[in-house]
Amino acid sequence: MQSFFEKISILCFAASYGVAFALELWHLFRPRPILRILALVFGGAGLFAHVVFLIVQCLIAEKRLPLGSPTGSLLFLALILAVFYFSEAIHHARIAWALFVLPLVLGLIGLAVVLPAPSEAETWRSFWSVAHGILLLLAAVGVSIGFIASVMYLVQMRRLRHKLPPNQGVPLLSLERLEQMNRRAILLAFPLLTAGLLAGVVLEIYNGIEDWLSLRILSVVCLWLVFAILLYLRYFVHVRGRQLALWTMFAFAILVVALVSPHSFMQGGGP
Amino acid sequence: MNLLLVGASHKTMPIELREKLAFDGPKLPAALNELTARYGCEAAIVSTCNRAEIYIARAGATVAPDAELIAEFLAQFHAVPLEPIRAALYSKGNEDAVRHLFRVAGSLDSLIVGEGQIAGQVKKAYESAQAAGSAGAILHSLFQQALNVAKRVRTQTGISKGHVSVSSVAVDYVREVHAQFDDKTVLVIGAGKMGALTLKHLRSLNPQRILVTNRSPEKAQDVARGCDGVAIPWEQLDDALVEADIVLSTTGAPEPIMTRRRFDGILARRSRGTMVILDIAVPRDFDPRIHDGDRACLFNVDDLKRIQEQTLKERREHIRPAEAIIEQEVKRFQNEWRRRKHGPIIAQLTQYGEEQRRAVAADLFAKLNGKLSDEDRKYIEGALKLLLNRILHGPISALAEETPEPSKHTLLEAMMKLFRLER
Repeated sequence: MQSFFEKISILCFAASYGVAFALELWHLFRPRPILRILALVFGGAGLFAHVVFLIVQCLIAEKRLPLGSPTGSLLFLALILAVFYFSEAIHHARIAWALFVLPLVLGLIGLAVVLPAPSEAETWRSFWSVAHGILLLLAAVGVSIGFIASVMYLVQMRRLRHKLPPNQGVPLLSLERLEQMNRRAILLAFPLLTAGLLAGVVLEIYNGIEDWLSLRILSVVCLWLVFAILLYLRYFVHVRGRQLALWTMFAFAILVVALVSPHSFMQGGGP
Repeated sequence: MNLLLVGASHKTMPIELREKLAFDGPKLPAALNELTARYGCEAAIVSTCNRAEIYIARAGATVAPDAELIAEFLAQFHAVPLEPIRAALYSKGNEDAVRHLFRVAGSLDSLIVGEGQIAGQVKKAYESAQAAGSAGAILHSLFQQALNVAKRVRTQTGISKGHVSVSSVAVDYVREVHAQFDDKTVLVIGAGKMGALTLKHLRSLNPQRILVTNRSPEKAQDVARGCDGVAIPWEQLDDALVEADIVLSTTGAPEPIMTRRRFDGILARRSRGTMVILDIAVPRDFDPRIHDGDRACLFNVDDLKRIQEQTLKERREHIRPAEAIIEQEVKRFQNEWRRRKHGPIIAQLTQYGEEQRRAVAADLFAKLNGKLSDEDRKYIEGALKLLLNRILHGPISALAEETPEPSKHTLLEAMMKLFRLER
């Protein structure tokens, strides 16, 4: 059984997500309940393969894939977003979640494949490195969900701007719900990002500051600043809607840079 | 199957006459009882504002119910002269009656194609017939299948998609913007009668409060009283717009009351989400340039009517697939009915064949006693069964696929004679 699980590759779950996405796309043009069910089945199969792959790679395989490496972070983030897709597709079945979440999941998996694999068995060696990694990953989930909500908001807004018939085309949540989803994602992500950033600072100080101007550190700091501006605009200047969506998308772009940047703290120890 | 439909609809009879033929309240069970007592048949009545149709069936009889008699019944029951209604009545028998009911239930015969109420009305007609004890074998099958047809047409085609009244379309747009209404403010500007239905729809969303403003404070009070709202002075219109989430504007003003410049000033003061403006006044009350789909979504009468027409056009495109479903279901109903009707004959035929097979097998095994192994016996038994099935397959299929009149009795009787079967 173990050898069977070890045969599961990135291609297995990426292909399952791809099929689920294609089925959802098909459903958009030729609505049939069976297509939705099949999309969910493939999405679920992809999720299962994804979980098994990460368990095998992180716990069992000889050359372990650490969460802290860019590849690991991207695959874990993709997994959490796939879980988000699966649960939302069950709870809000009318909405075309697959069309918005799965391309992002596939994109993150694609980036993980393109990035060079970790050269050596990198491991987290301290509480601070674990805290830093997990907090930043959770913040990344918040930013990604905010990004998805923003894209959906812009699509819904475009439909309204052109006065397209309601209840036709891609089924979406209302503008209010999408804005609410975006706001909650940001509110969740900001403290996590701040805490993750502080954990990183502690870690860097403990390890001896090597490179404060590394792309990774700069992008995470930049992300934090964008978030601070975003919250200021939202709660003090009352910026809403499209502008908020665009700021969130900008934050997501910075997050991607942060995720693909190499980590310096992985090799170090910790307090 | 001796099924007959006699009725009138919006296509054949003006509303003044249709009103007189309505089977409302206690009239419906009374008419069903009268029909079953008078003609000794099954009966069901579909009575809506757009149609009054009587379905009569006689399962075992060889003579079909007479349409003329049912027309006379209609006239007598409603105490209206027969002549004016006779020309507007239509009658359909058997397959055509089945097809008609399926089309009615699938809303293909409705005034607005794809409307959702008719399936419920057909269901109510069936339930009334059940309650009156006037639904028998034919009408049970017919109405149950009609309800399935309605469901199939609704779920497998896009014929029921979208809304087709201006006020429903307006509320659909509101729902595209807002999800929650218990914290929302609706502002009604003006007291135009055109807005009454839309306001009724908006009220059904249960908004937190409704503000009403009008140049005439008395009119504002009147409208506010009618919708549990609060009347505010016309001078406070801008302040009300700052607070409003949904605006319904129906003034009779000859010029737009809200220019873009004035509205920009209001937007600058707003901290709330997107404002939906339903401008159903003619001429328009709001400058169309204020619509951006983000901070303000403005829909005027033309927009709403365009969607209404588009929806109707799209629904019409689904008529052909819906008709195909109905044809399938009509065939299925007929086959099912024939199978049921011929069931006892087919059972007799199968039993007769089985008896013959057993007799032949018993004779054969008796003659070859001791010469056959168990395996040989099994093989011969199997071969005889196969032979019997192959022989009977033709006649049974012919019965199931039998075409209606005039050859029906000939085929059935020929088979009964050939195989010595009894009815």
